[in-house]
Amino acid sequence: MKKSISAEWLKLRHSRIGLILIVMPILSLLIGSANYYFNQGALQHGWYSLWVQISLFYGEFFLPLLIAICCAYVCRLEHLNRNWNVVMTAPVSVASLFLAKLAVVSVLIFIVQVFFIILYFVAGQLLGLSSTFPIEAFGWSLRGWIASISIAAMQLGLSIRIRSFAAPIGISLSAVFLGLGMYVTNMGMFFPYSLLTIGIGALSQESLTGVENSLFLIMNLIFISAFSSFAIYRLQKNDVIQT
Amino acid sequence: MNTPAILATNHLSKYYNNVCRVNKVNMAVHEGEIYGFLGPNGAGKTTTLKMLLGLTKPTEGSVSIFGKECSKNRQFILSHIGSLIESPSYYGHLTGLENMRVMQKLREIPDKNIQEALHIVRLEKQKHKKVEQYSLGMKQRLGIAMALISFPRLLILDEPTNGLDPAGIGEIRELIKSLPKRYGMTILLSSHLLTEIEQIATSVGIISDGNLLFQGDMEILQARNKASICIKTQDDASAERVLLTYGYMPVHQHGHLHFENMSDLQVAQVNKILVEAGFNVIRIEEHKKSLEDIFLELTGKERSL
Repeated sequence: MKKSISAEWLKLRHSRIGLILIVMPILSLLIGSANYYFNQGALQHGWYSLWVQISLFYGEFFLPLLIAICCAYVCRLEHLNRNWNVVMTAPVSVASLFLAKLAVVSVLIFIVQVFFIILYFVAGQLLGLSSTFPIEAFGWSLRGWIASISIAAMQLGLSIRIRSFAAPIGISLSAVFLGLGMYVTNMGMFFPYSLLTIGIGALSQESLTGVENSLFLIMNLIFISAFSSFAIYRLQKNDVIQT
Repeated sequence: MNTPAILATNHLSKYYNNVCRVNKVNMAVHEGEIYGFLGPNGAGKTTTLKMLLGLTKPTEGSVSIFGKECSKNRQFILSHIGSLIESPSYYGHLTGLENMRVMQKLREIPDKNIQEALHIVRLEKQKHKKVEQYSLGMKQRLGIAMALISFPRLLILDEPTNGLDPAGIGEIRELIKSLPKRYGMTILLSSHLLTEIEQIATSVGIISDGNLLFQGDMEILQARNKASICIKTQDDASAERVLLTYGYMPVHQHGHLHFENMSDLQVAQVNKILVEAGFNVIRIEEHKKSLEDIFLELTGKERSL
């Protein structure tokens, strides 16, 4: 597993994925902050109102998009130049090949979450928010990250299966809307994209109860295990087809 | 071959949508040999090689390598195999050296292997260049270096000289020929080029339409190549009649008298008979079938190789 992860990291050298990882959170922050700035009369809850504005764009659009792009990118590396032939004939387990990709995407998203919190803090300072920085923001980010891993497990499965770079990203955008629908109908715990909405506190900053927190974690664990197992099974059973 | 087979397939078959691409192939590659897997394009060579490596799942049959069943010992077997399948795989945005490092990490091998493999394929000077800037030949060399990186027991190369210029082909050919002695490797290489297999391989397997038509030492194949003697006289028809009375039974075709399985002494006797009977012997030739003729005989069809 360690050797697979180390190989995956090496493959990211000289890539422009880092640029996207920086630009996406900045974009969502700029849009959210502008929204906050121009509607300060109606938005009375300081840091919490600012979070709603920026996390709405971030959690409901830019972050899912970012996860889908990262997954499509790490798979595109293998789709190009028949690289599946090399990785699938390496003396490592198929599971470790998949899990290494999932680990790398998860670490990238974790870095983005940390970066996003820093941006949130800076934006709050620039907008002159005087109250104390809400420590809940760390929890929102952490839960957002956990839900991101579920989404990444699903997106990786899709991107391995579908050679096109854009198609799985398109699917993720449709899934965002489906997730919103599930969230609104109180079924949010049963779909990874709505788990992200719940986790990141994009639409509600009320703390999750102990039971809800446990259910949130259990559901993510189930999704991560299920999507990963299915993707690994397919990789093991299907022929490697390179065109 | 007396050495044990380190690679053996048992009724290996592959069907795509009920169309048979590889049909009950029983292949045996022995330790230390260079096995040339010869067949026209579309004969099933790559499909077979991909099944050996587990990239394609057999519809029927099994593969055993190093005496172990492949489906149950995947990682062990792959750790002792180097391969280059279809065309070279590479990460274009990485340098040649970084591509080798990816392989190094996946296979946990020392740095010196990278240097040695790059040295063998003469890519040391270009190792810091991004692979997307490499020529096709350089990519092919890198592919071979990546296959060699662990200096494996078994090296599987699918059309390894594709994309190389004539000088490069000669160089890679010599390299492949040297590997069994230098590193104790066994090599399985496929090609649609008869001359290539003829020059490199010690054993040969001929596949056509998914069927393994011949398998054995190169010498056995070449032994099928029995020489016939062709004699041309001024009057072949009369010469034939005379020779028949001496118990020789030539076949009169293409303006020559053809004799199969003639010893040197018999050739001399025939010549003497003809000269003494007053015939002008214009030409005595030894005619050998080319390997291409044998291949066409085996496949039963005239198709491009």
